Amino acid sequence: MNYTGEHLFPGQLGHLCVVLSFVAALLAGVAYFLAVRRRDTAAFEGWRNLGRFSFLLHGLATLGVIGALFIILVKKYYEYQYAWANVSDDLPFEYTFSAFWKEQQGSFLLWSFWHIVLGVVLMLRAGKWEAPVLAVVALAEVFISSMILGLYFGDYRLGASPFDLLRQTMDAPIFAQADYLSQIKGNGLNPLLQNYWMTIHPPTLFLGFASTIVPFAYAIAGLWTRDHKDWLKPALPWALFSGAILGLGILMGGAWAYEALSFGGYWAWDPVENTSLVPWIVLVAGIHTNLVARNTGYSIRSTYAFYLLSFVLILYSTYLTRSGILGDSSAHAFTEMGLGMQLVLFIGVFSVLGAALWLARRKDVPDMDTEEASASREFWMFIGSLVLFFSAVLITGATSLPVWNKIVQAFNPDYVGAALKDPVAHHNRYQLWIAVFISLLTGTAQWLRYGERNTDVWMKKFVRHIALAAGVAVALSALNALWLNISAWQYFTLLFAAMFTLAANVDYIISFIKGNLKQAGSALSHIGFGILVLGILGTGLNKEWISTNAFAMEGLIEGMGGDDLNKNILLLKEAPMPMRGFEATYLQDTVERQTRTFAVRFKKQDGKGGYTGEAFTLYPNVMYDRQFTNIVASNPSTKHYLTHDIFTHVSSLPKAELDQEFARQQEDSLRFDPYEAIVGDTIFTKKHYLIVDGYTKQPVHPDYKPEKGDLAFGLKLRAFNLDDSTGFAAEPMLYLRPRQGGFTLPANVGQLQLRVRLTEASMGQWLTMEEELAFQEFPMKEGETVDFNGYKIQLAAISREVDHPAYAPQTGDIAVAANLKITAPDGRTDTANPVYMIRDNRPFSLKDEAPALGLHVRFEQIDPQTATMTIAAAQASDEQRRIPIEIAENAPRSDYIVLEAIIFPGINFVWLGSLLMLFGLGLSMWRRLRM
Amino acid sequence: MKRSHLIAIAVVAVAIAILISASSDVTTYANFEQAAQKGDRVKLVGQLVQDKPVEYNPEKDPNFLAFYLRDDAGDVRRVVLRASKPQDFERSEQIVLTGQMNGDTFEAADMLLKCPSKYKDEEVYVRSEKE
Repeated sequence: MNYTGEHLFPGQLGHLCVVLSFVAALLAGVAYFLAVRRRDTAAFEGWRNLGRFSFLLHGLATLGVIGALFIILVKKYYEYQYAWANVSDDLPFEYTFSAFWKEQQGSFLLWSFWHIVLGVVLMLRAGKWEAPVLAVVALAEVFISSMILGLYFGDYRLGASPFDLLRQTMDAPIFAQADYLSQIKGNGLNPLLQNYWMTIHPPTLFLGFASTIVPFAYAIAGLWTRDHKDWLKPALPWALFSGAILGLGILMGGAWAYEALSFGGYWAWDPVENTSLVPWIVLVAGIHTNLVARNTGYSIRSTYAFYLLSFVLILYSTYLTRSGILGDSSAHAFTEMGLGMQLVLFIGVFSVLGAALWLARRKDVPDMDTEEASASREFWMFIGSLVLFFSAVLITGATSLPVWNKIVQAFNPDYVGAALKDPVAHHNRYQLWIAVFISLLTGTAQWLRYGERNTDVWMKKFVRHIALAAGVAVALSALNALWLNISAWQYFTLLFAAMFTLAANVDYIISFIKGNLKQAGSALSHIGFGILVLGILGTGLNKEWISTNAFAMEGLIEGMGGDDLNKNILLLKEAPMPMRGFEATYLQDTVERQTRTFAVRFKKQDGKGGYTGEAFTLYPNVMYDRQFTNIVASNPSTKHYLTHDIFTHVSSLPKAELDQEFARQQEDSLRFDPYEAIVGDTIFTKKHYLIVDGYTKQPVHPDYKPEKGDLAFGLKLRAFNLDDSTGFAAEPMLYLRPRQGGFTLPANVGQLQLRVRLTEASMGQWLTMEEELAFQEFPMKEGETVDFNGYKIQLAAISREVDHPAYAPQTGDIAVAANLKITAPDGRTDTANPVYMIRDNRPFSLKDEAPALGLHVRFEQIDPQTATMTIAAAQASDEQRRIPIEIAENAPRSDYIVLEAIIFPGINFVWLGSLLMLFGLGLSMWRRLRM
Repeated sequence: MKRSHLIAIAVVAVAIAILISASSDVTTYANFEQAAQKGDRVKLVGQLVQDKPVEYNPEKDPNFLAFYLRDDAGDVRRVVLRASKPQDFERSEQIVLTGQMNGDTFEAADMLLKCPSKYKDEEVYVRSEKE
């Protein structure tokens, strides 16, 4: 079969680059490896240069892969599975990046990209460490580029290529046609990912992931070359950089979850979150022992171990999120792609490499003759690192239960498997004590000195500062207890510990380093940690669901008990609903593209039946899939205050809004009775009456998106209860869309449970109404005025600028509009702009009307010789028309939303604390680089 | 004894203490019958029974969802979850619940849905008309 229209070149080029990139990485690894082996011989330079050359070649080839894939996505070459699955014609350009790294292959490329960038920096800066460090980076690159190879060895496929053609991956009858391409279009990006967070979070996180290889590689280099001290200096700023960036990546993930997803929080102890946090924790432990080792010579072995472990844990996290093993326990992981074995091999090689080298060289690492003194800074920093490591072990252990289950099941197929009952409670309970220890240690250790043996001299000063910090911490805790709902002593302990590190480190900045902020990196990070803990306490303990109304819901709920279960509230359209501290009103909904946005007005109540005057409107929305049949995302909307946030999202909608099939059944089961609408008249039904105010050609309906070329018609009604004078507007409409047909959109008056719709008969009636007009023709010249039944019609101008609701421009059109000024016998004036056009050598006339005067006008002909235009006019008599409509009473209400609203007090402490912590890491890095 | 040994012993002791205390946080996977026998909180995996009613009536109570689930052993029981109905509920392939049996009903505290990936393995979407 010879397929037409395919662009096979980018795929072939990309695939060639993939293979080249893999081979070059392998070559770079071998060359650098041999360079290290021959580091003291004349052959060194040759091998190193070959290593450099092949690493750069690997970089260029990887850029080629990225470029080829990018072209496929930008140009929307749907013959490629990657493009077909991830982009569509209507996808805005800025989301091409999201589509690029949405899949496993794209994210591997992103990871690779950062390794290459870091590799080039190392090539320029690492000096004598270049060869061993880059040998390790190149080895990692061999594995990562193998993930996208897509080569078959017999039945085994090595890697998943991003350049697979759609027709190769899918078996569908459509591929029997040579021109199948002209008939398919892309699936587009999951709306959930059409989000700016998806543009900025992955690159940051992957830079964080990628950067952990540098401390790892330095550790390997130190062990390998038996140079156990020199590597500590250059590794430290890299570890600080990695800590700052990886931390930022994780924080962005939390912010994304909080701001744009309906998880209802920034951290859920989800396995995917845990496994990216753990390497960071271990890295931070490594940074602390690295400082100890640099300053005293203690803890070199632990520094090795922490840096090695941190990268291995990154690989482990990659395995967990990409192998599909978390299916039962995580809400968000990649789709499984059959790379499980390759990933296991990746972890295996790097952990064996690290562990074997560490064990082999263990005795070789210089050790101190005596133990650290109990009052020395290094001792307590080591203890702190141990606590961090413990935290990492606890989180990893619990998160790895699915892996454990799988291993046991391999030996014992009957094993049912274990899981955490309540992950959040479990992790919180243990990590609370970790946070207490860390806070106390970070507050205390700053006041100790490295290598301190003479405790007496320092003891006084130490005790004075610690006592001061403890005193301030008690005061701050008491102050914060005023707004925090603390009931358990454990939380009081944590609050005190957090305030203690805050006070001690502020004191340290003021009285020890005298406000010299350049040296304050560590103190700022520790202060940040204290503030973060305060924020976590606030958002965790004081998180309050305000979307409850125990009174309104009471008695309606079978077996309902416990206040905390009551998290959602039903809001009927335009019906104010009191809930905890607020009155909420669902005002309206609007649809744009695939998003339906709901406006919900909040008014704060003063508790005495009145309002405080504080009011705001939030706009949570839901996103539909492309067929508009299912909701794929519910996006929250949050009101930010300095002290707290009010977070809302739509947690459920009427079934008729979610399921079109159900909506159709519901519509069919309603009893519609026929009526006739006459403008100015009133229609009486059993329980209601409706006043017919008129009709419109520009109807407004939440489900109607006007398009050029539509013929639309809507009826303006006001509906009332028989015994009430409150009117509700209703505008049923119908429209004809070229090539698609006619559609009718009913009007719902939820408050009256009324549904009004126009029918085919109304469409027929309306069309006849148009047809029956009796037009009278007038030949006119520009500027002339004619008289039609007492109406003065002036042809003011002929214009090439055509703006007519029914006119959709096409190339080759010749279109002109007649600008008419019309004056009625009673002096009222109006304008109309009928259009005359020639398309495909055939003349067309597009009618216009002066609705205020009830006049229809057409522009029928142009005589170029005499410059005479033929204008035709007709008078409408719509007012007497009877338009058939159908009305159903007792229609089930589908004009409500189910809303979840949560107050997060102290959320800004979380952001401020985390950012300060990361800023401290960055500041320390900057200072170390300057030193 | 060296202090590093003391620290090592302390770490091991704390680790054992935590392992023992955390064992109550762990539960096993079970089907309805096993859950009824245990009477304790379990994890349960099953599929939504499509031809039995899904009860969710937000006008009455937005925090009450009841449905029927078929577990791995083929048993069908009613499940109650006191929360709003997730948007993809009916399309779920697999439902993972945490909760316990209460009489004949499984009371779920937590629910995780596994849905067919929305944009994978769908039929090739053919244009309804030439554009």
